[in-house]
Amino acid sequence: MPMKLLLKNLEYLWEEEKLIKIVKRDQPSRAIFFLTPILAIFLTLVAGGLIFFILGFKPFEALKFFFIVPIADMYGFSELLLKATPLCLIAIGLSFCFKSNNWNIGAEGQLTFGAIVSGGVALLFYNQEGFYILPIVILAGAIGGMLYASIPAILKTYFNTNEILVSLMLVYVSKLILDYLVVGPWSNPEGFNFPETRQFSDSARLPILFDGLRIHAGIFLALASVIISWFIFYKTYLGFQMKVSGFSLKTAKYAGYKGKKMIILVFLISGACAGLAGVGEITGPIGQLHREVSPDYGFTAIIVAFLGRLHPVGIIFASLVVAITYLGAETAQIFMQIPKYTGQVFQGMILFFLLASDYLLFFKIKFIGAKK
Amino acid sequence: MNTHLKLSNVTKIYPGCVANDNISLEFKSGKIYALLGENGAGKSTLVKILSGVVIPDEGKIVLNNKIIKLNSPIDAKKNKIGMVFQHFNLFETLSVFENLIIDSGENIENLREKILSIMKKYNFSIDLDIPVLNLSAGQKQKVEIIRCLIRNPEVLIMDEPTSVLTEQETSELFSSLRQFSLEGILIIYITHKLKEVMSLCDEVAVMRKGKLVSVSKILDEKIETLANKMVGQNLKTVKKKVSKNQSINQLIKISNINFHSEDPFETNLENINFEVNRGECFGIAGISGNGQSELFQILSGEIISQNNSIILNDNPIGNLNPQERREFLMAFSPEDRMEQAAIPQMKIFENVALNNFKSSNFFNKGLIDEKKIKEHSQKILSDFSVNTNNVELKSQFLSGGNLQKLIIGRELITSPDLLICFNPTWGLDVGAINYIHETLIKINEQNKSIILISTDTDELLKLSDKISVIHKGKLSKLMNADEVTSEKLGILMGGGEID
Repeated sequence: MPMKLLLKNLEYLWEEEKLIKIVKRDQPSRAIFFLTPILAIFLTLVAGGLIFFILGFKPFEALKFFFIVPIADMYGFSELLLKATPLCLIAIGLSFCFKSNNWNIGAEGQLTFGAIVSGGVALLFYNQEGFYILPIVILAGAIGGMLYASIPAILKTYFNTNEILVSLMLVYVSKLILDYLVVGPWSNPEGFNFPETRQFSDSARLPILFDGLRIHAGIFLALASVIISWFIFYKTYLGFQMKVSGFSLKTAKYAGYKGKKMIILVFLISGACAGLAGVGEITGPIGQLHREVSPDYGFTAIIVAFLGRLHPVGIIFASLVVAITYLGAETAQIFMQIPKYTGQVFQGMILFFLLASDYLLFFKIKFIGAKK
Repeated sequence: MNTHLKLSNVTKIYPGCVANDNISLEFKSGKIYALLGENGAGKSTLVKILSGVVIPDEGKIVLNNKIIKLNSPIDAKKNKIGMVFQHFNLFETLSVFENLIIDSGENIENLREKILSIMKKYNFSIDLDIPVLNLSAGQKQKVEIIRCLIRNPEVLIMDEPTSVLTEQETSELFSSLRQFSLEGILIIYITHKLKEVMSLCDEVAVMRKGKLVSVSKILDEKIETLANKMVGQNLKTVKKKVSKNQSINQLIKISNINFHSEDPFETNLENINFEVNRGECFGIAGISGNGQSELFQILSGEIISQNNSIILNDNPIGNLNPQERREFLMAFSPEDRMEQAAIPQMKIFENVALNNFKSSNFFNKGLIDEKKIKEHSQKILSDFSVNTNNVELKSQFLSGGNLQKLIIGRELITSPDLLICFNPTWGLDVGAINYIHETLIKINEQNKSIILISTDTDELLKLSDKISVIHKGKLSKLMNADEVTSEKLGILMGGGEID
């Protein structure tokens, strides 16, 4: 009866004191707070090497293909920034939610809906040129993301629903809407029934920064979001309220902060960032709407946000690290014939090890058995 | 069965508090024992020790003349000690039977028959094949009891079993417990409800602040004597002199407050009415869990009520939130220092910024004015003799007393008209208690008012001008401090009547 055994073991861990005693640390040091992400990355590399070894590859060589080869040249580096841009932007938005105890898991949906709205606007102007088009398209994307994020926020504040479930399920709704649009009403009339729209006009595209590379002006949006969020977190009343709510909702209530307003606000900010990331993708590298506007950037950004400790600067580094896993997976597929889903394995491992090392950050483990 | 359970010199120390201080107790089968005490008195720790959840630092447990070691709940089960916790440990989506299979140690075929015979014997009727979530609280509790009975326990411990039960379910539970007792199961019943002790138990042990206060036969006790033992009584305390110029200048009027909660662990409030004049301290006595926390939240604005039900200085403020109420010169000091009144992980000056008035200008146009907050914090630290002058210190490094001084200081430095505090000296040492008491007396002298919700009778008798007792969400009639005795309070706290 393995189930029975498991339950018995759980019973040990259940209450505060058992054979293994888990004690809360008085004070996790700030240095450790920022070092554990590095520990997590290190453990991911070790475990990754082990997996490659089991698959029959030389671990160091495989890791080199995964993490070094992809960014060894200028093109690779620009690709890294290209992938890091949406991750950073979304993670910054998510950190507003996560810092204040709101669990928005649906950034992927907000990204998709932002892409749909801005893509729709871009398609309106498909045969026009003009400097005014791009700002309108960008704004539309932000608004789209905000609208979509407002659904879980409003349901949470007024109907007490669980925002995790609602935001997550809305991801699939948005993907199906996108699917319907690119196959049906918005599909390119000259596109031989391919599931994609027309190409946007050049005026609706984000400018490319360097000839021959794909890195685009969207990176400035990400950098701006980093600076603005840093300012809001540490210098404003809103940031202070978010901090208090993150530590204790009871205290926030006692202080009299308007909880509902804040929930809606952080969801809107988060949705706007995800929407902008969607705009960046379709008006940057893609240039049209099709079924796959995002390789799950919205979900991966959750890992980025936590790996970066919900700190704007931390998020920059975390987005670069996680972006490598996207590139590495592609290189590994080409050179080593490993499925590109290995990238997701690495992303999962990073989060796994981060959570595991966090546990040690806040708790000490004592073995009572040894005392006897 | 002839069970004999003995605890000798059991001590359990947690960082900063002695939960059980050298407790020795003896139990014999055939009787129902009550373990009585307020929240935090140490009774839960004691039963956790008996059920193997907590391991004592010192002391022995002797069952039937044999020393037993309880290092885990499994050890307790092996020694035939069963425990029903206040919060049920059931898987809601599994059926009753599936819940009982887990950890039953029996094979499935025998088990069903055994359960059916137990249910028949004690007249329980529960459908074994429906999910637990469809059961009422009373039925869930029966499932927990059956889970213990499967193992033929010699000792059955019930932790606050009636907190979620209806009157009807309570009386059913009592008759079952009496039946178990007749069959020789030793029953230890943990509660803070005096009436239940009187009607159910044979002997009662009272605990207060980690210590065993008394062990006695129920026949020798009355509700009020038990209440006094529970909350502590010290008639030698010097009372605050009742102010001679009894003003009739009304400050706040509470009328017709009713509160109904969906949460079975909260208390409903019924028809709360009172008035407080300027310069007065209005004390609300009662055993904890009788609606104090709900009343505090209604007064502070964490729970919004009808606008006219709270009138402060002729302003209706019932539907304002705490921050808006502060603008009308109210201040609040909640019971829970570490999880509500302050955030331990934040710095002192950040905690000061939690009490934010428009006029304090801590946040100018949405930006944090750190310099201003720090200056203000500095003033609180020196005015209220907190033993640090470093506003950058994280609050978790302050002792309980200093943290409370910081909180009271934060609330009082703006010189509010009304301070509402809930157990302001809970868990503090004598020095800090005196300091807080002096501070509270001082603000009364400045013609400011206090509503003091406290479970400490001494404190109330010392500080209050008027006292009322809250019991099961209802306020007793108002008494002037000079006519109150701790005996009268005891009767009212136990739900009795006085003329």
